[in-house]
Amino acid sequence: MLFQIQISRMKTSNVIWVGNYSTVVKRDPVLHWSWKSELPLECATHFVRMRSRVDDAKIPEPRFWSNWSSWKEADAQKSLGRDPLFLFPKDKLVEEGSNVTICYMSRNQQDNISCYLEGQQIHGEQLDSNVSAFKLNKVSFIRKTGTNIFCKVDQKDVIKGIVLFVSKVLEEPKDFSCETQDFKTLTCTWDPGTDTSLPKRSSQSYTLFESFSGKKILCEHKNSCNWQVDSDSQEMYNFTLVAENALGNRSVSVLFSLTHRVHPKTPYNLFLKNVSGTKATVTWKVHPIGNYSTLLCQLDLLGEGNVIQQHNVSIKENGEYLLSELEPDTEYMARVRCADANHFWKWSGSISQKFITAEAAPSEALDVWRNVKSVSGRPTVTLFWKPLSKLHANGKILSYNVTVENLDRPSGLEVHSVPATANGTELTLDQDSYQIHVTALNSAGPSPASVIVVSGDPGNEEVEEERVNGTEDGFSVSWKPQSGKAIGYVVEWCDHPQDLPCDLQWKNLSSNTTSTVISSGAFRPGVRYNFRIYEISTERMAYLLEKKAGYLKELAPSDNPQVVVSNLTSHSFTLSWKDYSTDSQLGFIQGYYVYLRSKAEKECHPGFKKATLPDKSACCQHRIDNPEQKTFVMENLQPESVYEFLVTPYTSAGSGPLDAFTKVTTPDEYYLVEKGPYTHTHHPPHDRLRFAHHDHLLPKKSVENPHLTIMNVSDCVPDAIEVIHKPEGSKIQFLGASKSLTETEFTKPAYLYLLPAEKNYSGPGPCICFENLTYNEAAADSGSCGHFPVTPEALPGQPGPLTSPENLLKALEKNYMNSLGETAAGEASLNYVSQLASQMSGDKDSLPANPPEPVLCSEYKMQMAIPLGLASPPPAENSGLSSTTPLDQSEHYR
Amino acid sequence: MRVPGKLWSVLGVVPLLLVLHWKHGAGSPLPITPVNATCATRHPCHSNLMNQIRNQLLQLNSSANALFILYYTAQGEPFPNNLDKLCSPNVTDFPPFHANGTEKARLVELYRIIAYLGASLGNITRDQKVLNPNALSLHSKLNATADVMRGLLSNVLCRLCSKYHVAHVDVAYGPDTSGKDVFQKKKLGCQLLGKYKQVIAMVAQAF
Repeated sequence: MLFQIQISRMKTSNVIWVGNYSTVVKRDPVLHWSWKSELPLECATHFVRMRSRVDDAKIPEPRFWSNWSSWKEADAQKSLGRDPLFLFPKDKLVEEGSNVTICYMSRNQQDNISCYLEGQQIHGEQLDSNVSAFKLNKVSFIRKTGTNIFCKVDQKDVIKGIVLFVSKVLEEPKDFSCETQDFKTLTCTWDPGTDTSLPKRSSQSYTLFESFSGKKILCEHKNSCNWQVDSDSQEMYNFTLVAENALGNRSVSVLFSLTHRVHPKTPYNLFLKNVSGTKATVTWKVHPIGNYSTLLCQLDLLGEGNVIQQHNVSIKENGEYLLSELEPDTEYMARVRCADANHFWKWSGSISQKFITAEAAPSEALDVWRNVKSVSGRPTVTLFWKPLSKLHANGKILSYNVTVENLDRPSGLEVHSVPATANGTELTLDQDSYQIHVTALNSAGPSPASVIVVSGDPGNEEVEEERVNGTEDGFSVSWKPQSGKAIGYVVEWCDHPQDLPCDLQWKNLSSNTTSTVISSGAFRPGVRYNFRIYEISTERMAYLLEKKAGYLKELAPSDNPQVVVSNLTSHSFTLSWKDYSTDSQLGFIQGYYVYLRSKAEKECHPGFKKATLPDKSACCQHRIDNPEQKTFVMENLQPESVYEFLVTPYTSAGSGPLDAFTKVTTPDEYYLVEKGPYTHTHHPPHDRLRFAHHDHLLPKKSVENPHLTIMNVSDCVPDAIEVIHKPEGSKIQFLGASKSLTETEFTKPAYLYLLPAEKNYSGPGPCICFENLTYNEAAADSGSCGHFPVTPEALPGQPGPLTSPENLLKALEKNYMNSLGETAAGEASLNYVSQLASQMSGDKDSLPANPPEPVLCSEYKMQMAIPLGLASPPPAENSGLSSTTPLDQSEHYR
Repeated sequence: MRVPGKLWSVLGVVPLLLVLHWKHGAGSPLPITPVNATCATRHPCHSNLMNQIRNQLLQLNSSANALFILYYTAQGEPFPNNLDKLCSPNVTDFPPFHANGTEKARLVELYRIIAYLGASLGNITRDQKVLNPNALSLHSKLNATADVMRGLLSNVLCRLCSKYHVAHVDVAYGPDTSGKDVFQKKKLGCQLLGKYKQVIAMVAQAF
């Protein structure tokens, strides 16, 4: 019979669905048919009617429809309570991506109702005055705990809600396959994909169905199922795996032959036996598969994690294989896995076993080099060797044997045993030639000997050094063969030339090689590397061929030389930096820059050019191209001017730091024997002993001394000497209170009465001794100090000898006042107490026999400041100070 | 008639002393049934029983609000922002409590309240384990509250029995939520916990 069914919504005339249902009508007249409404039935009354006709081919046409049945009403609203608002469907479960229709029904048409999903208001279609429906298309999975959807009546405390559960899509099982390990059980596995479980609803279940046998089992696990193989009679299997949950099912099938799905069990009992240095036998067992199966086993030999040998072995149950070509004293791993030999399906699991081969004697001679030096006149040979690689050591090196044989005077061999931890040894020999054999020993025996011949004669060391350029790859070193009989060459260098030991390195090269690239991870920019190339003669003697030096990359000098200033005159001074080594620099020193700047001079001197310093200040620059020129004379300077200079070397990478300029103050054209550290600012001398302007008069030794010192006038031949006073002396600045006495410049003039040198004087020499032994800071205030006459005759207007201190003081005071007529005494803060020494300078106890006679030799001695506390009373005779009080001194001069 | 499964564990301390009644949606508890049977407890009561009861009430009161917040937060919107509409404490059949009654009357009313709450809490815990399986702190708090209620119920009964010789208190329980839809379960739980928060404060104050 064929039934045609109509469904109407809300009113019978509103037909929303028409469909046919065909079935065989049997004796039981009750038929069941169901229909799912998208709109929850609670929200609208539905009506259904049907008609039928015969649907049998045996009944000839025409076949007529029956009349329609009467409409049957399905009204779920009647069963609802009296709540003001209802929301449907409740606890609906749908699959992700499907469509859901939600509806609400209000009892009061006047209510304003709004509905929300995940905080967002949703808008629906009003089906009638009380009912609205919301269609949610392709709903997404949000969370397993469901999504609250709620509607509320505005202005009323009414909220109604439902929870919509959206499950993940049930996926088709992936990677479905079955296999057996023993022809007794088939194990089928698959990837179940996403779990579709929800609260109160379990995850999908899996059912395995085999079509040939018609058997079906419910799988216990989500991703595997075991199927018992009943007998050997069934060869082919056709499995269908069905995944099912509350919303539907998915299935996947696989058809296979049982013998093509053999996955052997992991082999067992893997052993190594008869392990020698180069061979080993591997044995293992497998679980038999049936009575007729043969297994193909793959034997891998691994060294340091890499497969280095692979062998295939067909076996029934017991496997054995002889591994060869192994390295002595090496750890290996043997690994075995098996598969069905007839129909490969899958490898079994692997079993592995580590083993170590036995040791063998070292296979290669040591790489030996030597360094010959003379210690206390005896040649001392330091032997170096590189440890044998693991490949060549063939075991643990226990020691090294060094055998020394005198080639010039045959005698017994001298054998030294060196511990394995050492990579060299030192031998003290004589001037003879020696042949040295070095071998490495392990438990299996010695290595081939490495032979080297050394002689007490170091040979030609006077080889001119050449430069070699460094690149990113290292140093490209080449040389010219000399003898033509070389059996090889050795290039020697230090990885750390500035360290001790310097980490000597060498590289052996064949006889037909004349160049090589020396590279090392230790090479650094700014380090000078020295390479020595040796030729190895047929007698195995090394002869120095060439020397090279180079930088991987030259850097600018990091510091400047210490410069000494000498020959300071009012117009020039000399700079020298002779102790500056040019070999230990960050690059090859190509020369020097001399910088000069002065506030007094705007233009640069000849030979200088203008330059700008990093601080944007201007200065003058002179370039010295010869790195060995380490002196420079600054000329054409202005007297009484401050100059600042800097000497900095330069390499191909640049010059040294331009920061620490040194100040030099040129004296005026008359010289005071004074000099201070030129790193300080010096002001032009004011109260000074002046010589007539002859630069050559300045004794060198005094200007080289950076402090005030004694000028021995006998060293020079002045035209005239006078003591001057400059009134502007009071304006002179002191650099600091902490300045030492010898550096301090004086604000008050020193007055010395000198004997003019007589041109025709034929005595011992027109020497004058100036001994300004002390000055007393309190003297000026107390008026107790003055300037002492050299002799009574030298004091014009002074009647009679100074027989007492009082007289002397008076005479001095008078003279002082006469000489400083225009100088206000109040200006003075320091007064010089100057003395003329006796004839025998420094020997104050030895008085001259004829005091009135002029002294023949004068001496100017350092003057020293005496603190007030020491000035009065006068210091003891044995005071360390080289001065005494003026009164005491005056007695010497009488 | 069906007794919630949790009920047995709630009353497990002294099950034999109680006559259990289940009245779905009952508006008021059944009256105390006078019995002449000798009142006996399995173990002697604690010497300072009332103090224990007060402490347990204080403990429940101090954690009730946190439990309420945990609960409505776990239910998702619209609960946290519509507490007045969804979680208002209008539980009509909730056992009454009169703070000005005698100690005996208050203890009897307390017993009924805790029995009611214990059973409801059991329903809520069961539902939440299904509906919010990952809300572990909520589960923990629900279980901890139920544990304290079990102890409190035992102590109250001990007190009633030892001092007032009350061996039998009729109790009533709230509606079983097992047949409700999920949203309704959430709402009923929220209302119950809101009511619990309100009542326990009053009861704790009364003791």
